[in-house]
Amino acid sequence: MLPMRIYRTLLRCYPAPFRHEYGAEMAGAFAEQMWEARHRGGWRAETSIWLHTLFDLFMIAPKEHYSVIQQDLRYAFRALGAQPGFAVVAVLSLALGIGANTAIFSLLDSVLLSALPVRDPQSLVILTNPASNGITIGSTRGEREELTYSEFRQLRDLSTVFSGLMACQIEPEPIPVGVDGADAEEIPVQMVSPEYFSTLGVPALLGRTLSADDDPAAPNAVISYAYWQRRFGTRADVLGTRITIRQGVFSIIGVAPVSFFGETVGQRPDIWVPLTFQPVVMPGREWLHEKPGDDKVMWLHVFGRLKPGVRIETAQAAANVTFQQGLAVFYGSAERAKNQWLKLRPAAKGASQIRGQFAEPLATLLVASGLVLLIACANLGNLLLARTTARTREMSVRLALGAGRGRLVRQLLTETMLVAFLGGIAGLGAAWILRAGLLGLVSHSIHLPVAPDIQVLAFVFALTLVAGLMLGLLPALRTMSVNASAGLKEQGRGLTGSAAWLRTGKFVVVGQVALSLPLLVGAGLLVRTFQNLRQADLGYVKERLFLVRVDVQMGGYEEQRRLPVFQRLLERVRAAPGVRGASYSKSGLFLGSRSSGHVEVEGYTRKGEGGVWSVWEHIGPDYFSTLGIPLLLGRQITERDHPSSNRVCVITEAFGKQFFAGRNPLGMHVGRYEIVGVARDSRNRSLRDEIEPRFYVPAAQAINVPRFITFAVRTVAEPSSVLAGVRRAILSEDPSLPITAAGTLTELVNKQMEHDQLLARLSTAFGVVGLLLAAIGLYGVLSYGVARRTNEIGIRKALGAQHSAVIVMVLRETGLLLLVGLVAGTFLSAAGTQLIASRLYGLAPTDPVAIGVAVAMLAGVALLAAWVPAYRASRVDALVALRYE
Amino acid sequence: MPPDPADTNSFLPLPTAVFHILVALADRDRHGYSIMQDVATRTDGKVRLSPGTLYSSIRRMLEGGLVEELRESPDPESQDERRRYYRLTRFGRRVAAAEAKRLSDLLSQARETGLIPKKL
Repeated sequence: MLPMRIYRTLLRCYPAPFRHEYGAEMAGAFAEQMWEARHRGGWRAETSIWLHTLFDLFMIAPKEHYSVIQQDLRYAFRALGAQPGFAVVAVLSLALGIGANTAIFSLLDSVLLSALPVRDPQSLVILTNPASNGITIGSTRGEREELTYSEFRQLRDLSTVFSGLMACQIEPEPIPVGVDGADAEEIPVQMVSPEYFSTLGVPALLGRTLSADDDPAAPNAVISYAYWQRRFGTRADVLGTRITIRQGVFSIIGVAPVSFFGETVGQRPDIWVPLTFQPVVMPGREWLHEKPGDDKVMWLHVFGRLKPGVRIETAQAAANVTFQQGLAVFYGSAERAKNQWLKLRPAAKGASQIRGQFAEPLATLLVASGLVLLIACANLGNLLLARTTARTREMSVRLALGAGRGRLVRQLLTETMLVAFLGGIAGLGAAWILRAGLLGLVSHSIHLPVAPDIQVLAFVFALTLVAGLMLGLLPALRTMSVNASAGLKEQGRGLTGSAAWLRTGKFVVVGQVALSLPLLVGAGLLVRTFQNLRQADLGYVKERLFLVRVDVQMGGYEEQRRLPVFQRLLERVRAAPGVRGASYSKSGLFLGSRSSGHVEVEGYTRKGEGGVWSVWEHIGPDYFSTLGIPLLLGRQITERDHPSSNRVCVITEAFGKQFFAGRNPLGMHVGRYEIVGVARDSRNRSLRDEIEPRFYVPAAQAINVPRFITFAVRTVAEPSSVLAGVRRAILSEDPSLPITAAGTLTELVNKQMEHDQLLARLSTAFGVVGLLLAAIGLYGVLSYGVARRTNEIGIRKALGAQHSAVIVMVLRETGLLLLVGLVAGTFLSAAGTQLIASRLYGLAPTDPVAIGVAVAMLAGVALLAAWVPAYRASRVDALVALRYE
Repeated sequence: MPPDPADTNSFLPLPTAVFHILVALADRDRHGYSIMQDVATRTDGKVRLSPGTLYSSIRRMLEGGLVEELRESPDPESQDERRRYYRLTRFGRRVAAAEAKRLSDLLSQARETGLIPKKL
């Protein structure tokens, strides 16, 4: 009968125990109901019965399932509570493994994977290089990294392949911003084209965004949600508020949505103003217009939204036609225009300067945290297996009493899933803390969302599920093979179990040791790298030194007025309290910029194509003595080297070695400058790069007087206490002088080592966690082994074995496991360290100290973990042990 | 294990299906389908228990000690091996009485406040 067949099939929706107990009864009742309905009520009654059946299916069946799960959970909690040690170790192991992975993954997700929080990010393309991080002035060849304002306008006005095209400043600067006459606060301000928000598809949360229909002269500004909250307490009447940015007064017309951080991952501008206000926001610079013959100022990212159906290749070809036509007019040569081209890339993930820097360290860390999770899972698997083995008797009893095997498997899976779930929850907590710590470690200048998002939660959930299922399956599979009578027969022994499990356990421990070694070696290498970097010789003392950059061009000083103001500023800075000495250079130290190019060196014939390439620096008087860079030959640059005196320069050791090998450079010329001294090499920009040839020219004798200078100030005491006085000294000369960068050298150098420090700290943390987990695993296996061999040990002792002999016996076993693990680990380390070889500084991947320390730590901890069971074995009482027989 | 008498309150208020089953078992022991028929007859077909609701309730009532399953059919005539008979326990009777009192108290309160007429 069809209805009965359907009903029996539907019964499968109920949990098996319920179905076994009541299935037949229910089918019987259903059949009688149907029979009665057919004879009395007709089709109406029959339909009503089916509706009730469906109701049961959706309401009663889930309730029954829930009740079974509840029962399993109650039992699982009781079982875990009976062995709190196991529960704590298991949950902690998983929490650490899952927490570390989640934290790293969530960072990786924000930096590398997340799409911009804008409308349909997939149809966005970027016409510039998303990794570009600044401004290029002059001319370039090849693929264009940035665009000029005029180039953007041509593309915007002539392109037909984009439904929107916008440009934005690549590097938003912190600029003093005043609100209603209050004290100015330094806030990142970004200049964007009016199409910025409409192209990205970001509506205003409050008010409106910039728009292409606005009057180009209207000083509108949109502020970020964070700034709105911080500065205005999310007041709705913020619209219309006037804010002062350098020489301009802007009016707030809107607030951006909370999730919107701009188009570049890692940046977080607080104010957006139209690009046309560049001369007001950056006084003294004119970057909006270009005439043939000028240097091009390339400072913009350009993003476009493809029209529906337009492919990126088509758009690229079309954009290049417009771009190169513009170049041909600019250079007056179609040939020259062909040397440069645009490359379009999908821009769903936005631009990012940090993506490249972070990809490798984060991937390395993800591998390391993955190893930790693997070790944690192995540990848990081992513990669970040992526990199941010890529970063989319980399982046998339950089987003998008629429990279904399926029921037991389900019970064990529930227990493991419970552990995995608790581990997942604890792991999420650990991840939250770790991620906050990580963000703090990464950088103060990089802004990423703090809270893990849905994707990350899904990741944790998947990890938990996989870990739970994998680990739960092991003991469950073992239960499948438990024999109802076998377990009962062993009841005389205190501990039951199989040699097979012990073999598996040992294998797992060897694997854990093997996985821990590369973690520890990697951590050692990265820690030593960080130490080497910290102790790197800069060529001068980095303590009690700070830098302040003053942009005199932006302050309104034309070229002929700059040298006198440099001189007056230097005198004021030197007179500030706590200053021991001061000088200046153009680029400063570790602020990222430098000047370089091709020069003529007297008496040196260049090899091959191209001129002699060198870095140069414009400096003030007594620069070398202020920093403490020794002169190897000749003299330093002083006050006597003024514009009308003989043009001089000082070269570095590296410059001398490269171009004057074996000759005396003094009196020779670099370009128009006579060499009067040779200074020792020093580091100005990077801790890692090769030292480049460099020469120093007095700023007073420069062909173009620098637009800005960077003071290097030596202090008597802690530099941060002197900084405020120096700022005041500079502003007392002219309150409108913009100070564009400042910091102690230690801070600036440390900033370069942030990634190295992060890697060193995290890999150490992972190494220690891995080591602990391996130790726990070893301890578990050895304890179990000793317990199993209690009677054997008893016999040995009865036959006269000493305490020490028993200890040696157990430790020998440990030694063997350790040795096999270490050998396997060495191979893994050799492969693993290749991953980080490029990050090492001042040591090789085979650094004997790092490897030695790792091996010693692993061996030490392993022996310590083995000592407790060994000691316990040595205390075995021969008589008690033999009673087991 | 006989349930603690104090536990009666922990069962209240009873789900409607459970109370109906208790009422159906009050006068005699019944099998599942007989309970379904009795409930339907007593309520003029307004309440119809489906097999799923019935046996899910019975499972809970067995666990709670409100009913017990009989080892042998009370009806020697019955040929049907499948049928399982249930009987109200003393504890189940107390729980049913407590529920009836709860409902009756509620009813008199409703009368006193004038929500419903004194006599229906």
